Amino acid sequence: MTKPTKDLNQIKRDAQKDKGDWIKVGMSTCGIAAGAEEVYNALIEERDKRNLDLKIQKCGCAGMCFAEPLVEVNVKGAQRVLYGQVDVPTAIKIIDKHVTGKMLLNDHVFEIREE
Amino acid sequence: MPRFKKIILIKDTDTDAKTKSFYDFFLAKIREKKLEEQFQVVRAADLNIYNKGIALKIFPDDIIYVQVSEADVDDIIEKTLKKGVRIDALAFLLPQKQMRIVLRNCGVIDPEDIDDYIAQDGYQALKNILENQTPEQVIAQMKISGLRGRGGGGFPTWLKWDLTRKVSADQKFVICNGDEGDPGAYMDRSVLEGDPHSVVEGMMIAGFAAGANKGLFYIRAEYPLAIKRIQRAIDQAYEYGFLGENIFGKGFNFNVEIRLGAGAFVCGEETALIASIEGRRGYPRPRPPYPSVKGLWDKPTMINNVETLANVPIIMLKGGAWYASIGTEKSKGTKVFALTGKVRNSGLVEVPMGTTLREIVFDIGGGMLSNRKFKAVQTGGPSGGVIPEAHLDTPVEYESLQLLGSIMGSGGMIVMDEADCMVDIAKFYLGFCVDESCGKCAPCRIGGYQLLNILKKISEGKGQAGDFDKLKRIALGMKKASLCGLGQTACNPVLSTMNFFIDEYRAHVVDKKCPAHKCTGLFKYSIVQEKCKRCGMCFRNCPVGAISGDKQKGYVIDPSKCIQCGRCFEVCKFGAVTR
Repeated sequence: MTKPTKDLNQIKRDAQKDKGDWIKVGMSTCGIAAGAEEVYNALIEERDKRNLDLKIQKCGCAGMCFAEPLVEVNVKGAQRVLYGQVDVPTAIKIIDKHVTGKMLLNDHVFEIREE
Repeated sequence: MPRFKKIILIKDTDTDAKTKSFYDFFLAKIREKKLEEQFQVVRAADLNIYNKGIALKIFPDDIIYVQVSEADVDDIIEKTLKKGVRIDALAFLLPQKQMRIVLRNCGVIDPEDIDDYIAQDGYQALKNILENQTPEQVIAQMKISGLRGRGGGGFPTWLKWDLTRKVSADQKFVICNGDEGDPGAYMDRSVLEGDPHSVVEGMMIAGFAAGANKGLFYIRAEYPLAIKRIQRAIDQAYEYGFLGENIFGKGFNFNVEIRLGAGAFVCGEETALIASIEGRRGYPRPRPPYPSVKGLWDKPTMINNVETLANVPIIMLKGGAWYASIGTEKSKGTKVFALTGKVRNSGLVEVPMGTTLREIVFDIGGGMLSNRKFKAVQTGGPSGGVIPEAHLDTPVEYESLQLLGSIMGSGGMIVMDEADCMVDIAKFYLGFCVDESCGKCAPCRIGGYQLLNILKKISEGKGQAGDFDKLKRIALGMKKASLCGLGQTACNPVLSTMNFFIDEYRAHVVDKKCPAHKCTGLFKYSIVQEKCKRCGMCFRNCPVGAISGDKQKGYVIDPSKCIQCGRCFEVCKFGAVTR
């Protein structure tokens, strides 16, 4: 069964639209081994509990194995930050402090990506 | 008014011990000056700066200060934070050592969502090629780029493609070799898991260039997540019409399937890999004929490594000349390394070719994990060798590493410190190859076994004069006479450790000592009663109960129970445990 190729530009335009607030969790084998799955589930649970308009996505390994699990947070009103060594309590703190309070967490910042 | 608060990241880059106190001091100053509405002070986990005292990073200005003391804080707040003036005496320019080409999408896109990949110009290269280019033009671009096979051999990719293209046949194949097996190497896994579509797209471009319309992923079964994500990527590509018949309406057909490797290291060798796909035992066969002439089902077959294929789409998008501008004269572009072992930041690093080993280990990797001294870095897995401190400034290229008796390999890089014994390392890698030897040819099957026996003897203190010559003779025999790459290179770790660390070998054979205290037969732990303060630390920490005694009588180690783990040696604060 063969389908005609979809229009690349259309998909690109749709995909590049503003996605709003999002969190990405590094979910390759290395991240999952370090506990990323629990963090991912905790983030989703916490978001649903508070009814936040927040997308929680999976992504691949960024290469910083020593800092797994990695969580990147992009919400309006704060910098885009890559947090590392995130466990479940830290994930909840990220929702509390960063997503809701627009304040960065101590001891977990590995990179500030951009404004 | 900025959109949000300025951020001041603080980190003690030496030991992390002073991060907290400096943070408290800085925060108190900010509060004293009532500036907490404008600035947030944050303790960072890592700034990618090492051994430079207290470091500060200020966002969004992107100013970095190092060797900061408490006396500088007022100045920093008044000048930099309030007025935006940089204090040159403290400023530090962080060199950008990494360069992400292969890993450009890893950790950025959702690997299970094709739209995410398309948003990053995914499948654009394929579209441009199908619409405007001939296979010859694609190969010409690849030739300009200078890309060489990333699986270890470094064979020019364009040449492989061209050889396959020139053979006329009714059917040709492209195979992606995802049978990554070197101990400590996992670059391919990360690419397959983090950016599967780029490998699929690279494979399609390769297929178009070589005139193949069937692609196979050969992935080891130990990578279940990689297999799942590649399968999903293939399904999505069919769904979107990027795979199948008449792609982009340009008459090009391409179909892809996955084949699983059952865990044999030798199946990473291309002829054994083909045998494995055909359903036969994973035995290599003599070349020529090369797979590009007679490969899978006797049809011309092009086998490319995962990382090589992941490079292709971006080369075709940005042009061969762009890629060739990165790297050195003979080795172009970037290489991904899996940095592991006794290094502070283990993980994947991608650097332009020509970056020195020192930069990779000390600047990007952050130096050694513990206080022990650097001893060597091992590259190329079981086919490679060790590189000692004296050669750390060697730029990473295919040729320069070969000159040192190692190889670039697929990209495993294992850092070793003083506590690693080189005889033990050679024994480990050789043991790996002996286990994984398919047994088809005698030099590898018998030679490897004999080499391993001699190394075992040496590590037990039973080495004799003449063993070194024997090691060298057998190793050279294997190198010359083995059928495939596994046997030809299996002796490299032995030759290379003997070349750089012959003194250590001598210590084992002549003095019956292991300088790194790793070879357990060559030393014993005991307690020096005069130095012992009878604290009982060793007694409590011994995992096998080999230490007996109490605080009155003192402690002794029972050698028959001791497993020589060294725990007592490490925990004794008074140096009363000797070895």
